[in-house]
Amino acid sequence: MRFKQMGLQSLVGAFLLVGAAHAQTVVLGASVQMTGATANTGRYYRDGYQFAVERINAKGGVKLGGKQQKLELKLLDNQSDVNLSVRQYVQLVSQDKVNLLLGPFASDFALADSSIAEKYEIPMVQGGGASDQIFSRGYKYVFGTLPAATLYFESTIEAMGKLNPVPRTVALLYADDAFDVSVAKGTRDLVGKAGLKVVIDERYSSNASDFSPLLSRIRSVNPDAVLVAGHETEVLNFIRQAKSLNVSPKMYSFTVGVPTADFRKALGPDANYAFGMTSWLPLAAHKDEYFGDAETFAKEYKTKLGYEPDYHVASAVADVEALVKAMEAAGGADPKKVRDALAKIDFPSLYGRVRFNQVGQISLPQTMIQVQNGTVVPIYAGNGFIGKPLYPMPAWNKR
Amino acid sequence: MDLLWQIFANGLLLGGLYALMALGLALVWGVLNIVNLAHGALIMLGAYVCYYAFTLAGIDPFAGLVLSAVVLFCLGYAIQRFILNLVARAPMFNTLLITFGIEVVLTYLAQIFFSADFRTINPPYAGNFISIAGAAIPTVRLAAFAVALALTFALWLVLLHTRLGRAIRATAQNLVAARLYGVEPRHLYALTFGLGAALAGAAGGLYGVVSQINPYIGATLTAKCFVIAIIGGLQNPLGVVVGGLVLGLVESLTGLYIGSTYIDVASFGILVLVLIFRPTGLLGKAA
Repeated sequence: MRFKQMGLQSLVGAFLLVGAAHAQTVVLGASVQMTGATANTGRYYRDGYQFAVERINAKGGVKLGGKQQKLELKLLDNQSDVNLSVRQYVQLVSQDKVNLLLGPFASDFALADSSIAEKYEIPMVQGGGASDQIFSRGYKYVFGTLPAATLYFESTIEAMGKLNPVPRTVALLYADDAFDVSVAKGTRDLVGKAGLKVVIDERYSSNASDFSPLLSRIRSVNPDAVLVAGHETEVLNFIRQAKSLNVSPKMYSFTVGVPTADFRKALGPDANYAFGMTSWLPLAAHKDEYFGDAETFAKEYKTKLGYEPDYHVASAVADVEALVKAMEAAGGADPKKVRDALAKIDFPSLYGRVRFNQVGQISLPQTMIQVQNGTVVPIYAGNGFIGKPLYPMPAWNKR
Repeated sequence: MDLLWQIFANGLLLGGLYALMALGLALVWGVLNIVNLAHGALIMLGAYVCYYAFTLAGIDPFAGLVLSAVVLFCLGYAIQRFILNLVARAPMFNTLLITFGIEVVLTYLAQIFFSADFRTINPPYAGNFISIAGAAIPTVRLAAFAVALALTFALWLVLLHTRLGRAIRATAQNLVAARLYGVEPRHLYALTFGLGAALAGAAGGLYGVVSQINPYIGATLTAKCFVIAIIGGLQNPLGVVVGGLVLGLVESLTGLYIGSTYIDVASFGILVLVLIFRPTGLLGKAA
């Protein structure tokens, strides 16, 4: 009996403590891929969120009505399973009562999980999904810090028109998921407008590991440029198998992989000449309230986490900052007020200028990049070359 | 015509690797009546053994295969001896559950120890090719094909002509009679499973040279091996080679003529067809 009472008392005490703790902190919730097939990129979001929250807390936290409040991060592991991630977002908003939401990685996940944010009317700022499908449903509570998937190849195709010799024919390959289908749709339009001819337009299954039939076709049709929208595993297999089947178009470009350190490490010298794109580069010109600038951020991040941040990480950090700025503008963590503040937000960050368009998505130009001698070199941005492209790509046996 | 020949060569070479991957699964399934859902995870571990032998000690991946096979043999022996033997005569569902569990454990241990980074075994000659009648034949795939055939043939010889092989086949056919002749089933089961794991290890090393490695490749590889084992049958290692080659060719031709998204439809479609038209021979073992 006495034990029971003591138990009750401590339970009540614990509740009071939790209540007290909650009064002091704002809780941001997210479910990301820490394990499973997409953990490779999912962990960038975990690390980015944690790194940002630590820094913002170290700088005093979020300023609400003259008081400083600390941020708290509630992260769950969705094991790369979309269904589990949806359940976890429901848990985050209904049981854990988090104040605001951060997003998962990848368009498929963001597409499903954002419906929870919309249904419970809790704003979600997500930096992992770029597909237009996420933003074409008239949702009010979903904001995205990756630029539109349809425009991923925009800078690349612009730059192609200024290469010598100009590539005339294009092979477009894409995986069959939400993001890559959006990329392909947009790219088809861009290629048409630029007056290029699509000679191969082929969709393949996500996680395909054997590209030899596709590569053999590419070799026999011989397009000038090959544009691939897929996942990093597929891109690695594609490049390795291109080498062993002696397929070398004048250029190839990939939506993923090229900016990450992991990609260059896995391929070694074979990563050279690959074009890609990034919405972010660690430039000192990107000033940031919490990190100084993007260059300092990249250095500090690498020291702490042991790898170079890419645009996924920067996008994740921008998500946290956007929520903080919106709360400060709204004077509290009330979901509706924060939502309205997000719609109007406009601030410089290490990721670039953060503001959302009508549908809730950021617009940032993609910088075309290329791996040259093992390092990523920016090639084309805005409307001019900022680096010298290595083009046309030499045949594999002449490297 | 050149394209067709190239696709045909691609399919054959891919099929050789597939056959080696499935060989261990078919052996364990046929002899122990265990559908080893952790088989793909064992391939993944074999690939990592080769990867680390190559990057840390500079051991050539084709020499690393031997190391990888030995390491996986020991692991496989231990798994069967200390875990799977506990459910040796249990219904199939139990062995499915337990091997599924082992798959999950191995995958997550791999993520903890090796991280989710993508790896490739990339010796300088990895991208070399030779031209035969207008088709580019990747040398590594050709070598992998040869290793796969050699190992299959060796397994066939072992099963047919050695004392161990006879004991393995005898146990698969009639356990009681085999025991009367002095076969110690617990040890023999563990040896067989170890052999299956060793083949998976060797296949993993070859896979790492032609493709990429991460802790999550196991599940899809298990599915692939399952299809091959069913197409080829479990009675004879040579059947697995046929299964692998058929699947490799079908996937390549589907990719060319129907579309890359339909590759899985084609391979699992064949699985269904084989199950419909050859049900007794193929389901006999599983039931």
